[in-house]
Amino acid sequence: MVAMSRQSRLTITIVVVICAVTIVLIAKFLPKLFASSRWTAVAARVKGNPRAPIQITEFIDFECPACALGARYLAQLMTEHPTVIRLELKYFPLPSHRHGFVSARYAECAARQEKFWPFHDRLIERQANWSRLVDATPAFMLIAQDVGLDVDRLGACLKDASIDSFIAQNRDEGNRRGVKSTPTYYVNDKMVVGSKLLESELGSLLATIQ
Amino acid sequence: MGPCWLRFNSNLYFLVRMALGCLFIFSGFEKLISPYQNFLFIIESYAILPSWGEEIVARGWPWIEFFLGVFLALGLWLRWTLVAVMGMLFSFVVVVAQALARHLPIDECGCFGDISFPLPVVLVFDIALALIVGFLYLHYEKTVFFSLDEYCARHERQ
Repeated sequence: MVAMSRQSRLTITIVVVICAVTIVLIAKFLPKLFASSRWTAVAARVKGNPRAPIQITEFIDFECPACALGARYLAQLMTEHPTVIRLELKYFPLPSHRHGFVSARYAECAARQEKFWPFHDRLIERQANWSRLVDATPAFMLIAQDVGLDVDRLGACLKDASIDSFIAQNRDEGNRRGVKSTPTYYVNDKMVVGSKLLESELGSLLATIQ
Repeated sequence: MGPCWLRFNSNLYFLVRMALGCLFIFSGFEKLISPYQNFLFIIESYAILPSWGEEIVARGWPWIEFFLGVFLALGLWLRWTLVAVMGMLFSFVVVVAQALARHLPIDECGCFGDISFPLPVVLVFDIALALIVGFLYLHYEKTVFFSLDEYCARHERQ
């Protein structure tokens, strides 16, 4: 009797496991079938050799301290290995960071004046200062002047609704790809979250290349 | 106490068991459908495992969490499931307590996907859950009410 009860429970267990795994797999992979083709639709901010063996796409929030760490590490690595890495940057401002969206807006306006990377570098460099401010706009304006942005054009750009929608597009793309926190990198299409894991991933890739 | 109270009591055990099961299902499912690297990042922030261990846990843990939730909600292998859930909660308590003791800068607890709580809250919550699961285990004859285990046993008796 006990053996029979055990047998029926085993049968039920197998059915339950198969059903549960099927549900998870459908929920995990079905949305990707429809989303993957749209990932390349959003233009990005890019630097480095287009034919580099290491292609990195980063989802960044300029106010996130870990993003600053990752950016410094990548900048150093790209100086040491100038032809090996290509970096593509996408905005992923987190709602928990009060200056996240505004800083992305300024960076995108800098991009429209071909000054994205100098602006990006200074934002990262001075992050500890402006992230503490209640209103970081003066700090961003100062950086804009430092990198030589046309202030009138910048003012007009900041009022442009297409900037917000471009940032939102970037963020939507991140959401579709499963980005939850920043910095999230795609190193040759492999997802890597956090600067520490990026260092170990790039370390092993560079060792393979060299 | 009459049979009415007994029935209410059993329903309550069933509801608590279902709620706990759903909690684990939600937590595991949310981790399973998003890329495992998100959970890997959270595990890494607790700084308790070597990197190969973090990789294994990031890939395997959500499945365990999910299936324990399913088995708990359905009441399948209930005695073993309750022991395993208690073990899992105990491991959460240890991991969170060591993070608090070491003052690790953890922003995301890794509890329920995007929903995060401060670590002291998580610690209290996990201890409370462990106590509830222990209570369910001690009152197994009521916890098993409306379960597949009970169904199988009754089916075999008939």
